[in-house]
Amino acid sequence: MMYDFRFTRPSDVNEAVAAFEASEDAAFVSGGHTLLPTMKNRLAAPSDLIHLAGLSELKGIAREGDRLVIGAAETHAAVAASPIVQDAIPALAQLAGSIGDMQVRHRGTMGGSVANNDPSADYPAAVLGLGATIVTSTREIAADDYFEGMFTTALEPGEILTRIAFPIPQSAGYAKMRNPASRYAMAAAFVAQTSGGVRVAITGAGAEGVFRWAEAEAALGASFDIAALDGLTLDPDEMIGDMHASAGYRAHLAAVCTRRAVKHPGQLTLL
Amino acid sequence: MDMSGTREIAAPRAEVWARLNDPETLRACIPGCEELSGSPEEGFEAVVKQKIGPVKATFRGAVEISDVVPLESYHLSGSGQGGVAGFAKGSAEVVLRDTEAGTELTYTVNAILGGKLAQLGARLINSVSKKLADQFFERFQAELEGPLEDDSAA
Repeated sequence: MMYDFRFTRPSDVNEAVAAFEASEDAAFVSGGHTLLPTMKNRLAAPSDLIHLAGLSELKGIAREGDRLVIGAAETHAAVAASPIVQDAIPALAQLAGSIGDMQVRHRGTMGGSVANNDPSADYPAAVLGLGATIVTSTREIAADDYFEGMFTTALEPGEILTRIAFPIPQSAGYAKMRNPASRYAMAAAFVAQTSGGVRVAITGAGAEGVFRWAEAEAALGASFDIAALDGLTLDPDEMIGDMHASAGYRAHLAAVCTRRAVKHPGQLTLL
Repeated sequence: MDMSGTREIAAPRAEVWARLNDPETLRACIPGCEELSGSPEEGFEAVVKQKIGPVKATFRGAVEISDVVPLESYHLSGSGQGGVAGFAKGSAEVVLRDTEAGTELTYTVNAILGGKLAQLGARLINSVSKKLADQFFERFQAELEGPLEDDSAA
């Protein structure tokens, strides 16, 4: 049994924004792997779906000087397979290749993932860990100012994420423990050595979504090796606790992931 | 789903008690609350809308207040229906105590959640519940303590 909605294919970003503002209760749809299952389960019923994944303005993977720029509509499969990404930031390519399963990777997009900001998603860890810039239909937002809590970002209603510019780091590693069924991160750490210092972004574990582990950043900045992390712990009160893992376990797991990411730069490590 | 917490509110216990029983205050403080009516004696009914990520749900609920020890504690029990999204049933204990700075409020919640939201969102229930409870008490505290500017007058 189908519920009615209007499906719009705008031809450019301006049309997409206009369509959003003209409708009663619209939702943007990119890969659809978050929105469509939600609609099928009757947990959301937008009056209009505005399709973004076909917009040429949102496509493209390019190295621009010391930055890697990826269009919001690029699928996880495209990012994983791109020789440009594999060369510039191999951990990012491998992170994309570890999301969900093959069907998800051929539909899901970077823009959709980052706009949604699921606390267990992978891309937010890379965006925050690399100090990327989120470019939207109206402005540019620094990663440190973008993530505002579980499923909450700085994006205004109707604002479209168009591309993300990643500064290319000296090195970056990503380590994660996947839930064996959903492949979401039960805990994961993205560790990057950047021109501005060491950045450590944890996802899957924090109750408010992706966050930077400042203590670990400072310790690794002084000495980039796993011994620097000895004795550093995360607070279980701030972690997710559910049937998959207790808060205490996630706090422990996130620290283990951080060590693995430090130990194996330039790649994804699966626990 | 079990949850408990404590907040210290810089206001006298009698005032905190009065506001906890006041429908206008409750409507302003419950996140997403669009309608709230009733009284402590008859119980409260409310309509609450929440959007979390892609999910948008409207819940209609009713609570009853019992075991009242005036100015000190009460027991809430109730249920909410969210249509296809699911349902919730539970109870809460709220206890007030005097402190030097004002009043200490302690709450303990036991709830069962069922339906689609509980089934699909199991990994998020604890975090979302805690976040909504925190939002409620932040607003409640602000209602009682007033805006920050007022506090600066010494």
